[in-house]
Amino acid sequence: MSDLIQETNIIEIINLKKHFKEIKAVDGISLEIPRGELFSILGPNGAGKTTLVKMLTTILTPTSGDAKIGSYSIKTQKEDIVKIIGVCPQDVVIYDVLTAEENVEFVARMNGIPKEEAHLKASELLEKFGIAGKQMWAKKFSGGMKRRLNLAMSLVHEPKILFLDEPTAGLDPQARRLVWDFIGDLKQKDITIILMTHDMIEADSLSDHIAIIDQGKLIAQGTPMELKEKFGSDNVLEIITFKEEEMELLLKQVTVKNLSFIADCKAIGKRKLFIAFQGGLRNLETILSLIIENLEEVENMKFRQNSLEDVFLNLTGRRLRDK
Amino acid sequence: MILTENKAIIICIMNLKYKIRQWQYLFFSLGFPIMFTLLFYFFLGADIFKYSFPGMVIYTTAAGTPSAAIAFSVNKTSGMLERLDTMPTGRQNIFLGALLSETIVNALQIVIIFILGYIILQIPVIGILELLIGFLVALLFGISSVGIGIIIASISKTPDIANAIALFYYLPMMFLSGALFPFESPIVFFTPPFWAKQIFLQVTVLGNGLFDNLYSSSMIGVTAELTAIPLWGGVLITLAFTIGFILIGILIFQKKTRQ
Repeated sequence: MSDLIQETNIIEIINLKKHFKEIKAVDGISLEIPRGELFSILGPNGAGKTTLVKMLTTILTPTSGDAKIGSYSIKTQKEDIVKIIGVCPQDVVIYDVLTAEENVEFVARMNGIPKEEAHLKASELLEKFGIAGKQMWAKKFSGGMKRRLNLAMSLVHEPKILFLDEPTAGLDPQARRLVWDFIGDLKQKDITIILMTHDMIEADSLSDHIAIIDQGKLIAQGTPMELKEKFGSDNVLEIITFKEEEMELLLKQVTVKNLSFIADCKAIGKRKLFIAFQGGLRNLETILSLIIENLEEVENMKFRQNSLEDVFLNLTGRRLRDK
Repeated sequence: MILTENKAIIICIMNLKYKIRQWQYLFFSLGFPIMFTLLFYFFLGADIFKYSFPGMVIYTTAAGTPSAAIAFSVNKTSGMLERLDTMPTGRQNIFLGALLSETIVNALQIVIIFILGYIILQIPVIGILELLIGFLVALLFGISSVGIGIIIASISKTPDIANAIALFYYLPMMFLSGALFPFESPIVFFTPPFWAKQIFLQVTVLGNGLFDNLYSSSMIGVTAELTAIPLWGGVLITLAFTIGFILIGILIFQKKTRQ
């Protein structure tokens, strides 16, 4: 365990491959995941995310390559790895004729926690997730409660590394917020979290680093900001003026200023100005100052910020993958 | 280690809870042999029924096949097996826990059928020792049925398919082995229920000892022939079937679920 604490990277993936006959589900991925980070893995359906995580969690054996979880090899030290990880699967995997407490206690005891302690931990955890004291069987739970129970089962033994496969899929906004807050708390506790999600807002707001994979290969990696700057689209500001001449004046001013961060500025129709620009809020501030200097009022204004979704679509395309 | 902290025991207790809470499945899986036992009793009459009762007991314990097939198949398809694989559980504990729980349910089923047969329907009891030998042979056969259930679960894609295959095996096997009706053919020697039923019959009805020889069918004194195999040899054959099916079941299950 001392190796585990000293290592900067808690996960090291080295040219990992998994082939199912002709299909190259994971095709030579190498990655390093720093300790204590929330690291998101994004990719379209069928990109190889689940196969990658199944190898990292010892469910699947790699065709070639290796990965170190803590300092343990996924090929030869599976018994050591399962002691330090927690896995919240994408599908809800619970015993439906057991209560929430019985489910969590069972997982705790499979992780070697004695009966009394398991009972205590289960109660505490379920309290945090708002499903404590429910004596009904899990099959009678709402979809959201089942998802929260699914997540609680992966946390009861306080793993060093937590794999979360779409933990908020199907949750209502309140429950989603609760899970996000809980994930935020886990980050404070120095737990490394590997998050797989299709929710770009979730990935953007929670992640320290993101890896995007497609067709079994790693295609991009970085912080959310780095990815947006490198692979994202421009920010877009659309202004609708009251008068035609106001729009023309503004277009002229923007053109004259020749601001380096403006990628495109054009009139759309007679009263609408389209400005595409790079960078963050400081550049938006400059443009807004220009508008305020020249106009007293505008009829309408729309701003669309460069998002992780743009990055994702730019890198992986718009074609459906699981038709 | 305290027994209650043993992971196989924890899995066994959890499986038992799971089964008990699905009382309808338990009730009807046991209700079927009870119904058969009563039907045979009223159809054959008390004097002849005692020769059919061993077949009823074996029929009851053979229910371990569909029960285990469904249980393992549910674990496989629900993702629970994968979830357990990501914990320090160990596949050996999963198998042992499941085997223990199925065996306990099997033992309970035998006890219920014994109560029905020996107490309610008043089948003559030769002796407690004979009854105990009969119980253990039936239980051993029950464990071999669980092994076949694991094999079926390994090759089934869903619990429904597992159930269908289990029934496809279970009912014809009962007839082919001569457990339900006397069947005189060399085929019976290749069927696990034959050995268990024949030992149970000869020990608990005829009062034979384990060193007496085995008959070729239930029609003892009519058309059955005495074989060269002693009853203890039959016990060994049942044991071999049990170990063989369990090992083959575990090997195939591991191969099909570990990629």
